[in-house]
Amino acid sequence: MARLILAIETSCDDTCAAVLDGGRILANVISSQAAAHAGFGGVVPEVAARHHLELAAPVVEAALGEAGVTLDEVEAVAVTAGPGLIGALLVGVSTAKAIAAARRLPLIPVDHLQGHVAANFLEPEPLEPPFLCLVASGGHTLLAAVRDHSGHEILGQTLDDAAGEAFDKSARLLGLGYPGGPLIQKEAEKGDPEAFEMPVAMQRDPGLDFSFSGLKTALVYRCRELGPEGVEERRADLAASFQKAVVDQLVAKLKRGLKQGRWEAVALGGGVAANGPLREAVARVCEREGVRLKLVPISLCTDNAAMIGSAARWSETVAYPDYLGFDAFATGERMAA
Amino acid sequence: MPVQGGEEGPPVVVGFDTATPDTAACAWRGGEVLEEVQLGLNERGRPRHAAGLLAAVERCADAAGGWGSVDLVAVGLGPGSFTGLRVGIATAKGLTVSAGIAARGVSTLDALGAGIAAMGTPGERLAVLDGYRGEVFVALYGADGATLWEPAVMRPEALAERLAQVSAPPSVAGSGAIRFRHELEGAGGIRIPDDADPVHRVAARHICAPAAAGKGSGSLEPIYLRPPDAERWRERDSFQRAD
Ligand SMILES: [Zn+2]
Repeated sequence: MARLILAIETSCDDTCAAVLDGGRILANVISSQAAAHAGFGGVVPEVAARHHLELAAPVVEAALGEAGVTLDEVEAVAVTAGPGLIGALLVGVSTAKAIAAARRLPLIPVDHLQGHVAANFLEPEPLEPPFLCLVASGGHTLLAAVRDHSGHEILGQTLDDAAGEAFDKSARLLGLGYPGGPLIQKEAEKGDPEAFEMPVAMQRDPGLDFSFSGLKTALVYRCRELGPEGVEERRADLAASFQKAVVDQLVAKLKRGLKQGRWEAVALGGGVAANGPLREAVARVCEREGVRLKLVPISLCTDNAAMIGSAARWSETVAYPDYLGFDAFATGERMAA
Repeated sequence: MPVQGGEEGPPVVVGFDTATPDTAACAWRGGEVLEEVQLGLNERGRPRHAAGLLAAVERCADAAGGWGSVDLVAVGLGPGSFTGLRVGIATAKGLTVSAGIAARGVSTLDALGAGIAAMGTPGERLAVLDGYRGEVFVALYGADGATLWEPAVMRPEALAERLAQVSAPPSVAGSGAIRFRHELEGAGGIRIPDDADPVHRVAARHICAPAAAGKGSGSLEPIYLRPPDAERWRERDSFQRAD
């Protein structure tokens, strides 16, 4: 197992590079493009890919500099292979492959979702499997069983929108801007979460899947009923009610997952894990159920390369030159064996 | 400033281009081609940029004696396929970071124009690449190689109109010339070589040569010629949903 790993992540709208020494983070550089996408109210794939191309090499150099290491010391290059925006992924994969190839270093392609899981393996206080992991972000929402370091089993996932995507769309609807998560949370602090009744989807569904599109539709109807002035007036109540419904669904599924297995620990990941009310609600559930809760810092919840480097420690290493033809895989595809 | 070679002689350049559907790479030393690779589409009719470029580049580097013997990396900056040119430029930047070699970017239209010139046809040269969405990427070069029309994106009809006003018909080639043969031929006496003629394809030697001479740009800024389509955020439904 390589000790010193350079990791690169470009699956969505953050250009990230990290250097890890085993489970220890030496550098974790994140260049967010949020401002570039704000005007569109969401991530524009072509804009994301253009920014990654500009930023990838400087971010790698910044990470090496911050870690105080040179490429001479790096033993392997890890990179997010997918799922994600294909044009964005290809920038990271092409960069990583070239860096590795010119030095005959091995390449470690990493599954992005396993990256979110593996954020919990990082020092200090790494969480040892088994644990139940809830990952919610702008791109994914899933509940996963983590039984060892090398992978996860998806127990349930969203059937439509991701939780973070629902936050973004609703924030746009309420005229709050982008990214939606933090803006809705801030607005909701001034509002009453019980003011509007919102459907908590999948409540009666015995499975562990999620659905957020109905919730967004319900918000559309509320806004229509209220009219522009009404929305203006009740914005905080709408935000609070919407946020509560998202949190309630996530927590309900987590509780159900806990009941279905004998879990002793829970971990939270993804950008939505930065949401205060969600963190509090999950903490309450874990306390009540007597389960340990692992909350990684928010900088490791949102997309970052340290989590990719962490997952790489237990992922398959591909020796030079076997990865020269390696391609990224888009959303909906599986990483090639 | 032209690139200086190592102690052993003329500069060694590894250059490549992925702005067109081809994947082209070349190892070049003082005007001599040491190795040249040109990959067309794969069996599914897709470009081989992501899967084929790095292996081709490594083959060229090996032919040059390994990365330690290479003085310069050269890459086609487009215009062309956005994804394709990003694979090429990201690869060039990665090699630069890793091997500590300088890199230069060259316009893919310049390389195509140089390829037309290399066929020995007299007069002006018009490089026309498929610009997708029914448009072409185009540039015009004088007999001496000077750029007469800066790279631009336009409808083939608009190009034909412009050509009708040119005094002597230029030599025309490129993927865009093939695609819009019907629209372009006849305008100002234009005649386009057969589709199979190699003049239509960008050869990586024409990326290497100008880079070695210090032409092109050191910043590796891609030549997109078209802003991102803001409407594309609507296509986000394909985004990151795990299966
Ligand atoms: Zn993510």
